[in-house]
Amino acid sequence: MSQSGANISQDCISAFNDLKLAKKYKYIIFKLSDDNREIVIEEASGDKDWENFREKLIKATSKTKSGAVCKGPRYAVYDFEYSLASGEGSRNKITFIAWSPDDAGVMPKMVYASSKEGLKRSLNGVALELQANDPDDIEYDTVLKIVSKGLAG
Amino acid sequence: MAGQQPLPNTQAPIDVYGGDEISALVLDAGYCHTRAGFAGEDVPKSVLPSFYGSLRTSNTDSTTTTYRDIFGDECLYPRSDFEVKNYMSESESVVEDWDAATKLWEHMLIKRLQPDRETSPAKNGLNDAAADGEGDVAMEDVENQEKPLAESPLLMTEAPWNTGKAREKAIEIAMENWGCPAFWMSRTPVCAAFAAGKASALVIDVGGANTSVTAIHDGMVLKRSIQKSQVGGIWLSQQIRNMWDNNDPKVNVVPYFMIENKTAVDAGAPAQAKLRKFPFEVTPSYRAYEEERLLTEFKESVVEVWRGPGRYLNPGNEELVKSQPGRVFEMPDGANQMWREQRYRVSEGMWDENAALPNADGTKAQTIPEMIKACLSAVDVDLRPNLLGNVVVTGGTSLLNGFNDRLNNELMAMHPGMKIKLHAAGLTTERRFGAWIGGSILASLGTFHQMWISRKEYEENGAGIVEKRCK
Repeated sequence: MSQSGANISQDCISAFNDLKLAKKYKYIIFKLSDDNREIVIEEASGDKDWENFREKLIKATSKTKSGAVCKGPRYAVYDFEYSLASGEGSRNKITFIAWSPDDAGVMPKMVYASSKEGLKRSLNGVALELQANDPDDIEYDTVLKIVSKGLAG
Repeated sequence: MAGQQPLPNTQAPIDVYGGDEISALVLDAGYCHTRAGFAGEDVPKSVLPSFYGSLRTSNTDSTTTTYRDIFGDECLYPRSDFEVKNYMSESESVVEDWDAATKLWEHMLIKRLQPDRETSPAKNGLNDAAADGEGDVAMEDVENQEKPLAESPLLMTEAPWNTGKAREKAIEIAMENWGCPAFWMSRTPVCAAFAAGKASALVIDVGGANTSVTAIHDGMVLKRSIQKSQVGGIWLSQQIRNMWDNNDPKVNVVPYFMIENKTAVDAGAPAQAKLRKFPFEVTPSYRAYEEERLLTEFKESVVEVWRGPGRYLNPGNEELVKSQPGRVFEMPDGANQMWREQRYRVSEGMWDENAALPNADGTKAQTIPEMIKACLSAVDVDLRPNLLGNVVVTGGTSLLNGFNDRLNNELMAMHPGMKIKLHAAGLTTERRFGAWIGGSILASLGTFHQMWISRKEYEENGAGIVEKRCK
């Protein structure tokens, strides 16, 4: 398979474990370092507001080679919680989001797409994965529907 | 001062190819064009037709004939005993003639992209006189120096249906003939999907000789999903020829090189042009190549895709088009006419089998909607919604006016209620060179050096390593 071979920093894995086991965070946003060599944590937060999270992804940027700033892709894991429509309580699903806006540059899109598999494989316990390419894809309702397979109340 | 101390191990540069400034080369071969350039650049530096010339020369005693291959579009002009050939297979878009492929690739990668080197000491004449045994050159060194790409890792793209044998042959050429320090092969639809920022996608590649539909999941080609059909650029040319033959007045296909001069004539009037005379016979293969160039121009400027909804042959559509402005096309000989409904009609066979004009051999090609259907039905049901939401369109022929609108309409009609999203690069170059650009970025990444198949690995494992590594 064609993989970029980017490194995964140890912090990514320990922060993910903090999210998964200690419930320390609600979400973690990962990015590639400026030299595209390593995947690092951009932010780990306990903020429960989905809109703030969404806003952060939409506003993410990347630098092109010439130094210009354009929209940028990101990876994120979100500890998604929803309650079942049947009234059987709530569920948690750790969701991996590959965010790659269509209007980002080709270079960052390529680098993120070819580095994704490596990161996903190092994060054990991801329940499902979303590929999102425009702001509609990460609307709360859209994601809820996919994550809960339509069972949320 | 900190700068004068040696770096600790963790910070020491680990670059093998000098970080992002790798001198890697990227080669993307197609039936119509072959693209070669430096990794990290936006467009390939060298784009040549995959067609090449073969010149026949009889020796003076006229008992033997030899053929000389010449490459590059500037060499393709009328000459005597000059055949135009192609090293790729038209039905498969994979290499057919390896000798010619190697030569054409060398022409591009070495002659066009590498700086001139000094002639090796063994051949520059300075050492010829060393008959006394002194001043001779260690032959081993010379051999190493003669490998032209000893400093350039090479990334090649390949069709997803490329055979294991062909892949092994490719790495052999790169390692043995050119001395590349490292090699990698990427599949074209994966490159195109990655360049669109998607690790999973349905890639529709509308190329010159073939159109393919491939499902990619997490960067892997789903082998059983691969569909390919001949409804590409060359097939469309055949449709146009058929349409021209049956047109009233019949359109004479006279390529540019045959025209000495011409006089402007009214639309529909017979051409008034003086044809050039050649003191030798122009070969049919050369003429066909030139005609194809004319057809390409017609495709680029006149042909359009019926946008839908519904098929073009549905009642009422043709009448609607007839009432709209057409486009005038002037042939090289000056004959010109307005094209209205015909320019939609010729491309309709890509979508609707009933609309396809019969090919010379009477066969019909699989249409794009049929390919998509076959591709998706070979894929797990759970993956289908995600694929339909991530359709990547690439390939030069997808630049036909209206192509994406029609594709979108067809997909919506086939899958009502599903979320369908097309991704097609807006820039013409990104669409034409989609796979090359993907390969270019990948090969330019500093971290990619650990992925390359190194020369050492090749020497230890043989050519079979490419099957194991480039999955």
